[in-house]
Amino acid sequence: MGELPYDYVDNPFEAVQVTFEKAVQDLATDGRFDPARFYRKDWGVVDLFRHFVFDNGGFSKIPILELSNLHRIKPNTLVRYRGMIQDMFGNELYIGAFKDGDTWRTNKFMERPMFEMTPSSDEKTQLWERSLVYCVPVPGQNSWTLEYSTPPYGEKRGRDDEVDTMDFDDSLFKKQRVDEVQIQNQSLDSVGDPHFQSSTDMVDGFDKNHFSCLVKVYDTPENNLNLNDVIEFIGIYTFDPEPAEDDDVDPNYPTFEFMEDVTDHISPTKVPRLHCLIHRKLSVHDFLLGRHIAAAPTPNLIRDVRESLFTYLLTVLGNDGLAAQCVLLHILSRVRSRDHSISVGRLSLNLSGFTRENGSKFGNKLSESLKNILPFSLYIPLTVEYLNTDHLQPKKNNVTGRLVSGALQLAQGTHLVIDETTLCSGTLYDIGLANVRLLKHLMECQMVAYNFEYYNLEMPGEVQFLILSEGKSNILPADLVVPFQPNAITSSTNVTPELLESWRWYLAEMKSIPHSIEPDLQKTLEDDMVAAKKVNVNLRCEDLSRLLTMAQLMSASFGETNLSLERWQMVKEIELLRKKRIGGI
Amino acid sequence: MSIRQSYLASDLVSAKDFLNDFTDAHGESKYLTILQDVANRKLRYVQIELDDLFNHDNLDKEFLQRVTENTKRYVSIFGEAIDMLMPDSTEAFQVDDDHDLLMTQRADGTNDSADNSDPMQKMPREIKRFYDVYIKAFSKGSPLTLRQVKASHIGQLVKISGIITRCSDVKPLMQVAVYTCEDCGFEIYQEVTARVFMPLSECPSTRCSINKAKGNLILQLRASKFLKFQEAKVQELAEHVPKGHIPRSMTVHLRGDLTRKVSPGDVVEFSGIFLPIPYTGFRAMRAGLVADTYLEAMSITHFKKKYEDYEFKDDEQEQIEQLAEDGEIYNKLSRSLAPEIFGHEDVKKALLLLLVGAPHRKLKDGMKIRGDLHVCLMGDPGVAKSQLLKHIINVAPRGVYTTGKGSSGVGLTAAVQKDTVTNEMVLEGGALVLADMGICAIDEFDKMEESDRTAIHEVMEQQTVSIAKAGITTSLNARTAVLAAANPAWGRYDLRRTPAENINLPPALLSRFDLLWLILDRADMDSDLELARHVLYVHQNMECPSLGFTPLDPSLLRAYISAARRVSPSVPKELEEYVATAYSSIRQDEAKSNAPHSYTTIRTLLSILRISIALARLRFSETVAQSDVDEALRLMQMSKFSLYSDDRQKSGLDAISDIYSILRDEAARSGNMDINYSNALNWISRKGYSEVQLKECLEEYAALNVWQIHPNTFDIRFIDA
Repeated sequence: MGELPYDYVDNPFEAVQVTFEKAVQDLATDGRFDPARFYRKDWGVVDLFRHFVFDNGGFSKIPILELSNLHRIKPNTLVRYRGMIQDMFGNELYIGAFKDGDTWRTNKFMERPMFEMTPSSDEKTQLWERSLVYCVPVPGQNSWTLEYSTPPYGEKRGRDDEVDTMDFDDSLFKKQRVDEVQIQNQSLDSVGDPHFQSSTDMVDGFDKNHFSCLVKVYDTPENNLNLNDVIEFIGIYTFDPEPAEDDDVDPNYPTFEFMEDVTDHISPTKVPRLHCLIHRKLSVHDFLLGRHIAAAPTPNLIRDVRESLFTYLLTVLGNDGLAAQCVLLHILSRVRSRDHSISVGRLSLNLSGFTRENGSKFGNKLSESLKNILPFSLYIPLTVEYLNTDHLQPKKNNVTGRLVSGALQLAQGTHLVIDETTLCSGTLYDIGLANVRLLKHLMECQMVAYNFEYYNLEMPGEVQFLILSEGKSNILPADLVVPFQPNAITSSTNVTPELLESWRWYLAEMKSIPHSIEPDLQKTLEDDMVAAKKVNVNLRCEDLSRLLTMAQLMSASFGETNLSLERWQMVKEIELLRKKRIGGI
Repeated sequence: MSIRQSYLASDLVSAKDFLNDFTDAHGESKYLTILQDVANRKLRYVQIELDDLFNHDNLDKEFLQRVTENTKRYVSIFGEAIDMLMPDSTEAFQVDDDHDLLMTQRADGTNDSADNSDPMQKMPREIKRFYDVYIKAFSKGSPLTLRQVKASHIGQLVKISGIITRCSDVKPLMQVAVYTCEDCGFEIYQEVTARVFMPLSECPSTRCSINKAKGNLILQLRASKFLKFQEAKVQELAEHVPKGHIPRSMTVHLRGDLTRKVSPGDVVEFSGIFLPIPYTGFRAMRAGLVADTYLEAMSITHFKKKYEDYEFKDDEQEQIEQLAEDGEIYNKLSRSLAPEIFGHEDVKKALLLLLVGAPHRKLKDGMKIRGDLHVCLMGDPGVAKSQLLKHIINVAPRGVYTTGKGSSGVGLTAAVQKDTVTNEMVLEGGALVLADMGICAIDEFDKMEESDRTAIHEVMEQQTVSIAKAGITTSLNARTAVLAAANPAWGRYDLRRTPAENINLPPALLSRFDLLWLILDRADMDSDLELARHVLYVHQNMECPSLGFTPLDPSLLRAYISAARRVSPSVPKELEEYVATAYSSIRQDEAKSNAPHSYTTIRTLLSILRISIALARLRFSETVAQSDVDEALRLMQMSKFSLYSDDRQKSGLDAISDIYSILRDEAARSGNMDINYSNALNWISRKGYSEVQLKECLEEYAALNVWQIHPNTFDIRFIDA
């Protein structure tokens, strides 16, 4: 590892420049070179970095860009950053290559040119493009996912302020603008070498609650990066302490009204820029600590983990076995497929029978424990005021050109606990009704309509809904309604980190296993369903579909990929118990 | 560079030749006519169409390519060419314009002046021009989406489509600044190319510089030339955004006559030049290596939303012609409506006919007969009524979806409201008025506001909304086809009650619907098994079972329907008799039965005609055929059966014997013992029976030796007893 040709981490630009010049030389014929050959192409530098990161163990050497260690990271070095794509600003054109005298230079992966550029004619510059994505911390990201495997600075850090990071709206931006002015004045006083400015000033500039990052991505096929994806970027961190000009310049300065580009509103002193070299989509597995239980776990092992998790849920839920079963199935669910308006595999759960008192007791405990085992989870206490005032819907602000994130802009696989026990009677206004409709649509179709002022755009959103309510929730009719009947108040149990880890692994693993139904069982299922429909005429397509989903989740919870009669019977039994409870109340 | 220069010189000649020589399809010199109009001050712009350039006889392909790739340059080349060719005005027009006055003065001035050679004093071309030059992109070929415009398009003429989200005010943009020198008195011109310019302060004229007078310059706003200038932001259309992405936007600059052509919410197509912004001053320093881009608009086309104005894309015309030749088109189109909703073939057929409609007729005495078909869907909750409605709205080029209890206070028809700012009474149109010349889908029709309920009678027959409130008396057009969905009176359809009791709507309103369907959620073994299989399939294969056919693309469907709507078929004389008999027989049947379900009125007759005409339109036929009338009658019968199917079973006749009696009656009526199979099929399908049932009946009665069946043609011959 020692003989790396470049200092990738501390001086990545060197690698970029040297390889570019070399590539130019190699490809030039008779001393002439057409830089258009590199338009939307890589000349090998990305591969070089990829090789360094993944094959030469460079991954662990790259510091993570986050608020806590920002002051340790020098600008223009290689960093890692994890975040959710919250907004996409489209393409930015930049002078990708230009002729400096007789040699071609590149500006790729750079915020500002390293070499002095003289304004010159078209033949001497090449306009290339890069796409801009705006990343924020994943809404509802739980603290355990932030304990990265081997932090390069040997510091583990929990985040206590992870909730409430999401409802940033216009007012917050306005506030930021005010802050900005002050900060700029500060940084103007301390003009020094911009690249090695004292770090405290820098950190002050960033919004503590909302550490976001503007990532510039090069030469990536469009469908590689989607809105709300959770991505890890490895790239060059640039920091530009120069104040935004808007505040300095005479306000009558005649610029074009609409020309200002969205990034103008995102001051570089607030939001760091990252020039991405490598990016990859993250799954739950990537958040697990390296110590996986086994490569090929035995069925017995899975059974043991299932048992321990089930017992844990049982204690959390006051010894209600049925509820614990259903919660287990519920947290294992995910959308397996969607076709038009149908989504297969989701299982939203409504635990009814919560009152305001035990709601706070069990509900809080439940959501707390879910926080420990799921990567992204949020708790929303529903009130009339919340529904009437809060904008759940993500909305495009055409004046600033930005997507204003609503509470429902969530990463795939987020778990939502909706507490209806806090709801009092009141009047829902237009906005409240729209919000309820939005929530319902997300639950039933797993889609959120984003408001783009002149039309709505449906975005797929994979969200697990758990609703706590007193009676059956009419606002959010969940797939599965289970009256909650705790019979013991258990004191909190001590859970070892190892156990938690195994549960996280179990959930991640079992969620993703494939599933199939053998043909012989299919006949039985068919007959069962027809018989069930005969008994109960009101049985709908959705009910049958839910039973099948539950059966599939049940077998998945045992790590089985094939549905067996045994699991089907178990589900039917659960259904029977559930019916009894509903009837009994 | 010298090569370039010579190119430009030769291109100027090419441009001139083109303007001179080009003749359009009628053999007229199109551009010379335009130039004459410009000279006569009738037109303020010259639009050069690439289509014409392409169709030009002596086309120089490379020239065309250079025009598309370096458009900005060629706009000025064409401008120069036009200046050279500009004819004298042939009509006298008053020289009251400031501009013209100035021009005459200037013309006099330059003649006297000695130092013509001074470049700063030479009048720039722009100031003399009273027109703008635009180059319009090819009209063929679909426009690019915003994300398809790449860095490689810089400087090129591109065509994009999108929706306008913001528009700035129209502002003056200085094109040529004119100064007068205090010392020498000359007019000094300065061309402005960017948004910002540095005003001159010292007189550069030869006289002043020789005298070292440093004459003070005064900017003459009245003499300077300004352009109207407007900025707009255009956003990608929803259908162009890939999954998981958000729409992009682009800034568009509109100049001269193109300003005030768009407003927010418009769906438009621009052709224009994709350009980087020239940064100036401080911005340039900061921007460093990033370039902002915009589109300099060259032409604007608004998208039309009416069927009649639908423009066919690419090969749609061809595809439609192919489809029209296919005999199965009626079934194919109807199945492609909401393909994910299983079954309901006849309902979908009715909805297809609703989309197609019949032409409006205006009689000589001023009476209007509506051509729009009204359809009402009634049924249990959860039978996909709303989905059907929404799908129809998606297919219709102009459609409004609303619920009976509309969200705004305006309701369905129209309302007079007090404007909050001016306190004046204003008239605001409701959903039905907004859907004029389109389709209005009304969900929860039964839960309509009382005020709308009275107004909707008028809308559905006269197709207007009359208002006499708060001093406003007026009548608004509401030429819409109403597609209503309603729930039964008690939430669920109660089979023990009569249909009239279940339908919670007054008969006067119901009679206005051409077709009325009841969709019930009935349980039987077969459909249950079908359902179980479907659910299992979905879970196993993670997709919906294949439909057994490929549904037509919604855009093609839309194109076909709009093509069909252009036909206005007539009913031939021969058929009039046929329709009349059919109508009278329905009336008689009703008179005979002691509990008539419906009242067949003259409205029914009009409905039959409307449906038949819509069917003929689907075939692109100018005349209605008998088969159309038969299908219309069948649909009406089926719609009745959907309501009264239980009655039919109660009447004691099973399907087979009913078919037999139909055939026997018909044979007796015609006095002929031979019945053609296709005739038989027509008769029974009018009564709502299927071909399978007919075959069953034929076999059964043939076994009883009531008739003989021809083995190949299935023609029937009664055996006389």
